[in-house]
Amino acid sequence: MWNWFYKLASPPYVYRLAAVLAPWLLGGAALCIGYGLVDGLVFAPPDYQQGDAFRIIYVHAPSAWLSLSAYTLMAVAGGIGLIWRIKIGHAVAAAAAPIGASFTVLALLTGSLWGRPMWGTYWAWDPRLTSELILLFLYVGVMSLRSAFEDPGRGDRAAALLAIVGVINVPIIHYSVQWWNSLHQGATVAKFARPSMPGSMLWPLLSMLLGFMLFFGGVLCLRLRGEVLNRERQSSWVREVVRAS
Amino acid sequence: MNNGFWSMGGYARYVWPCFAGALVVLAWNVWSARRYHSRALMRAARAAIMAGDRS
Repeated sequence: MWNWFYKLASPPYVYRLAAVLAPWLLGGAALCIGYGLVDGLVFAPPDYQQGDAFRIIYVHAPSAWLSLSAYTLMAVAGGIGLIWRIKIGHAVAAAAAPIGASFTVLALLTGSLWGRPMWGTYWAWDPRLTSELILLFLYVGVMSLRSAFEDPGRGDRAAALLAIVGVINVPIIHYSVQWWNSLHQGATVAKFARPSMPGSMLWPLLSMLLGFMLFFGGVLCLRLRGEVLNRERQSSWVREVVRAS
Repeated sequence: MNNGFWSMGGYARYVWPCFAGALVVLAWNVWSARRYHSRALMRAARAAIMAGDRS
């Protein structure tokens, strides 16, 4: 029953599985993002307070969610690699880092562009904005630390440790708007509460959220394949892959 | 598309750069992941050739 789970620790199995999953995940992402863009930009009504500027939420919220999810995944995968010494854990963490960092940059940029017309400034040292900026520094730190060691194993372990320590920042970002006075608005879609927007605005947002998550999965699979090849290039199965390509 | 759509109620200079930035990030991620994989494949091919030379 658990056979499929144990197989996930095998680099050749993960390499082949990622090749199968990537096109499906990216195809699903294209559909969800396409629908979300058309519905969010064309059919969703303007907000009664923010007007059409609210449409920035359709790229800002998914990129912010993704920045947190990718970091959490990176820390969990790094922890798996560190505690159980499963090599794939470190490979997943290494593959997730640049993707998460790019979406953190996007969340900061779109937030800044949204902040200008709403708050009158591109940047404020607000708890939510500052903690998201710290997340970007953590991503950069984890990536730099991994490549700073000549021994890749030591680099992986050091990066995993930093990722695990830095995961404390994830709940801080999430709850910052509740814990401190913040310019940033509260959660639009909360787990246990009714969403604070009507369905005509909510559906494109949910579609974009799902699309960004699927996109992350697809790109993670693509990058993971490269990561596995890099780490296993002395193995006989990689030689088979090279011969077949 | 009418002018109202492109002007985004006067917020065009904030809204469109956000969507353009998102498209750039999405495209960059796919491009860089593909490039990373193809470079890894080349490196693995080089390693296989070296291993062949040694044996």
